[in-house]
Amino acid sequence: MIVRPPARWRRPSGLLPLLLAAPVAVGVVYTGLASVGLAGTGARGLTATHWVRSLSNPEVWRGLGWSLWVAGASTAMATALAVLLAVAFRGSTRSDRVARLLAIAPLPIPHLVAGVSGVLILGQSGVLARMGRALGWVETPADMPALVGDPLGIGLIGMLVWKEVPFLALVAFSVLASRGLRLEEAARTLGASPLATFSRVTWPVLWRGMLPAVVAVFAFVVGSWELPSLLAPSDPLALPLQILERHTDPALARRGEAFVLALLALGLALTVVVIHERLRARWTVLVR
Amino acid sequence: MMPLWRLVLLGLLIVSTGLPFLTLVITSLSRGWFWPHLLPPTFTFEHWRTLADGSPTRLLPATLSSLGLAVGTGALAATLAFPMGRAMARLHGWRRFVAAGCAFLPVAVPPLVLGVGLQFFFLWAGLGGTHRGVLLAHLIPAAGYVSLFFLGIFSVHDDRLEAEARTLGATPWQTLTRITLPVFRRPLLEGFVLGFLVSWAQVPLTLLIGQGVVPALPLEVLSYLQAGQDPRAATGALLLVLPPLLLMGMVGALLRGRSVVVG
Repeated sequence: MIVRPPARWRRPSGLLPLLLAAPVAVGVVYTGLASVGLAGTGARGLTATHWVRSLSNPEVWRGLGWSLWVAGASTAMATALAVLLAVAFRGSTRSDRVARLLAIAPLPIPHLVAGVSGVLILGQSGVLARMGRALGWVETPADMPALVGDPLGIGLIGMLVWKEVPFLALVAFSVLASRGLRLEEAARTLGASPLATFSRVTWPVLWRGMLPAVVAVFAFVVGSWELPSLLAPSDPLALPLQILERHTDPALARRGEAFVLALLALGLALTVVVIHERLRARWTVLVR
Repeated sequence: MMPLWRLVLLGLLIVSTGLPFLTLVITSLSRGWFWPHLLPPTFTFEHWRTLADGSPTRLLPATLSSLGLAVGTGALAATLAFPMGRAMARLHGWRRFVAAGCAFLPVAVPPLVLGVGLQFFFLWAGLGGTHRGVLLAHLIPAAGYVSLFFLGIFSVHDDRLEAEARTLGATPWQTLTRITLPVFRRPLLEGFVLGFLVSWAQVPLTLLIGQGVVPALPLEVLSYLQAGQDPRAATGALLLVLPPLLLMGMVGALLRGRSVVVG
């Protein structure tokens, strides 16, 4: 005879997933306490100094704005390119398959490697500058426009696009393959022109299917440290770089500000998580 | 005949995908590659040889250390996330929404923010600057990623096979070893790969929890590049690329070879 455990033991534990969030919750509580002087190195009791100093510092807002600009621009460009690739290479010919493989090839490449390639290619004595020299377009490295550490973050945006296109293209390929073709065929059968098919069928299907991934990419980029540490300028200093700079500052009083900035970054990430979850829920309903 | 615009796009794709890899390969084989040479005047394997001949380079110990961390993180993440994903998939309504949110939280919070918030506790527990500490730190986002992966797997899994085995008298252990693990061998492998990749490329958590004492390949690459030792940085960067490419290829091959689908 099989002795079965009582039903309450066999029931799935709803509390199990809380374990995943527990370390984050501990970190957030500590960060909150440290931001008001109740924890952390050099803590001297409850104070709003770190918040006042951080929020009244224009450098912080410029860094935040700059990080949002870089994340927004790179996500928008990567999305546009992913859509272009998905639409252009959706067929089943050999060139389509090769193009799809090439498009997603950089997917498993670590961001740091993209950063190293970026420095070696885009630097003022990098591969691009040397090509320019060979073609007679630049004479000395100083003639090459600065793409590493430039104030607009052009080089950084370029490498972020290179790194994020594969993921978004993969999503776009699968969205089109699973839901686009039949709808497009129906639209064409009903007499829609190629342009109308794209604007009324392909684009809405792609956009809805890709939106959660686009939001996830934006959230990841805005908080990532590796690529900005290699390619971003020192002024304005990107938000993640400001966090680490203050966190390792020899002046202990300044370290408290790192926690305030970390909470700002966290708030941004959580806002994006909420948007992501809402979009995912809506997307699921639409698919059903 | 392919239209011209598609041909141009394909050409641009080849260049944009290939140039970064080609640049890394050439730089790792270069000696004295100064401006304005388009190609290195001398090619050498010395930066690769130092990995094998026991030269006093930091790349080999850092690679082995990172490999150990990534394998440990991947194995632990897959082991922990498997029951997590299963438990989440059995929840319904708001409970499932909250559970998925819990798994998504360590994925969404930037690792740098996580490291800043948790560094004190790791130091307090004596785990700062140790491999164990770094592994545990890597496990936080990795377990989140892999749990979400298993949530997806279990959402479409039909567990009647296991229920049938239990009905026929199998013990929980027999059901686990004879039914569950064989059925989920490939998702478990994929979960391991996912956890491996999260750890392998992790920089901020390694930096903050490892305190610069725990060697790690990404940190060495960063320090070589900042020191202007481009060939060594490129060699390290290529070492960072190899395992993800091999693992993705392996998983791809396994998926292509998949013949039985249960569920």
